[in-house]
Amino acid sequence: MIVLESVKKVFNQGRPNELVAVADASLSIDASKVTVLKGPSGSGKTTLLSIIGCMTRPTAGRIHLGDREITSLPERFLTAVRGETFGFIFQQFNLIRGITALENVMIPAYPKGERYGILKGRAMGLLAMFNLADKSASKAEWLSGGEAQRVAIARALINNPSILIADEPTAHLDTKLSGEFMEIMAGLHRQGRTIIIASHDPVVYESSLINRTVEMRDGRIVQ
Amino acid sequence: MAWIDKQKNILDFTLSSLLRRKGKNAALVCVYTVVVFVLASIMFFTHAIKKEAMIILKDAPEVLVQRMVAGRHDLIDMKYADEIKKITGVTSAEGRLWGYYYDPLFRANYTLMVPPEFKYQQGEIAVGQGVSRSAVTEEGNIMPFFGMDGKLTSFRIRELLSSESELVTSDLVIMSEQDFRELFGIPKNRVTDLAVTVGNPQEVVTIANKIKKQFPDTRPIIREEIIRTYDTLFDWRSGIMLVVFSGALLAFIIFSWDKASGLSAEERKEIGILKATGWETADVILMKFWEGTVISLTSFLTGMIFAYVHVFFSSAALFEPVLKGWAVLYPQFRLVPYINAYQVATLFFLTVVPYTTATIVPTWRAAIVDPDSVMRT
Repeated sequence: MIVLESVKKVFNQGRPNELVAVADASLSIDASKVTVLKGPSGSGKTTLLSIIGCMTRPTAGRIHLGDREITSLPERFLTAVRGETFGFIFQQFNLIRGITALENVMIPAYPKGERYGILKGRAMGLLAMFNLADKSASKAEWLSGGEAQRVAIARALINNPSILIADEPTAHLDTKLSGEFMEIMAGLHRQGRTIIIASHDPVVYESSLINRTVEMRDGRIVQ
Repeated sequence: MAWIDKQKNILDFTLSSLLRRKGKNAALVCVYTVVVFVLASIMFFTHAIKKEAMIILKDAPEVLVQRMVAGRHDLIDMKYADEIKKITGVTSAEGRLWGYYYDPLFRANYTLMVPPEFKYQQGEIAVGQGVSRSAVTEEGNIMPFFGMDGKLTSFRIRELLSSESELVTSDLVIMSEQDFRELFGIPKNRVTDLAVTVGNPQEVVTIANKIKKQFPDTRPIIREEIIRTYDTLFDWRSGIMLVVFSGALLAFIIFSWDKASGLSAEERKEIGILKATGWETADVILMKFWEGTVISLTSFLTGMIFAYVHVFFSSAALFEPVLKGWAVLYPQFRLVPYINAYQVATLFFLTVVPYTTATIVPTWRAAIVDPDSVMRT
């Protein structure tokens, strides 16, 4: 379970361009459930996802991951928590160009110090799970939108995270591919993973897979 | 083991990262290699030639005595030798006959010398490889010289001096005492200078002072002074090379600094992705460290190997005119490989370390930024 207590995030604090991205957000997210953060652009969904995923620290408030308070952890420990607990799927997929799909999948696991052969085997297994085994040697820029997205999901799963975070995952996909994405999420949910998605796409938040919808507006949780 | 596997994995990713920008990185490695090549060539050459000159000079007499007239070197009478021999501590004082000859036919300078024992007949000479090349002649041929009276005298070449000692014998012509005296019109009791040997090395300076005191019109030159002069001369020549080369060196520094210190938007984004997917700041820095090390170490080793081949296998063909001397005849010889570990280490720390550091610093600045920036691009 993830618990947020009065979390606030202010960018450029004290400057003329100060921006309150998230204000007084309190929320608890159940484990093994699919939660959607819904709201228009600029409502604070991405910032809240970043805070939940330990990518950025809140300006105020506390976050509990299970029974552990993680807000005050030093950067190194926070990175370790991020690497072990969360898998990220970004809006633009953010694959690294110029290297193969297989290498992209392996990236999050490189610093773990796993034997290269074993790691490669796991990455190939994930690509095969998403019907991408024949694309393993393809450069990231050669992949179609759907393939790139599945590679991004495989990369998010390489460290076997218990929580999957996806930020506007269907923003660059057509309806068919968006549907396929939700099917993959359903499969991962069945494996017992917690899934948190930020989206304003009806294909996502109206899906039967969703256990809970959290609506945001102007940096605040409204529902 | 996990630590080693981590290094291997990150190095593997670094290499595949470098291959993505093949053209840019290859250009950088080329320029870097050229810089190391030139610096190492100068270093290898200067040291090897100095070492060689030192070895040759080791057998030179402790003191040379020249007679001076109006501040100019003049011929010296053999009676000086007889007097010098009487000074306590002097083992011997022998007259030497040598001089320079300009060959107008081939526009080359030769050094003419009479050895202590000349094994051939009058009218016969032995010449260095450089002379042989310049005059397009070989053993058994006739070589003409203009005498002091303008008359042409022909000599038969009996021997080409060995190429092992070509640094000093390249422009050398060896002949009999009588031929030398006739060619230049030198009276019988006169010589070019005196070679004085001293039994005890500690007494060399004292004996030189005694000679100077006893014969105020002479100039005793101590061997150590010649060695020092050679040392300075070759240092000065390598200095000239460095000055000429400093423009290119500066261009390289600016180029590499720009490449190493400025991160492109793409590189920043990549660092963001790495951090967002669980890399620590230290891991990102480690990756950039490997990147800098791969580029600089590859260039350093390639440059050093090329320089070694250039200097010790092609006799520094590219820098020959500047580094080897004033004579028209450049010796063609192979230097004995001599590498000073201290200098190699200096070159390493002046090239590899600054580059690697310049790569890491901007990465560190980029890598300490929150990884969530990648969520917004």
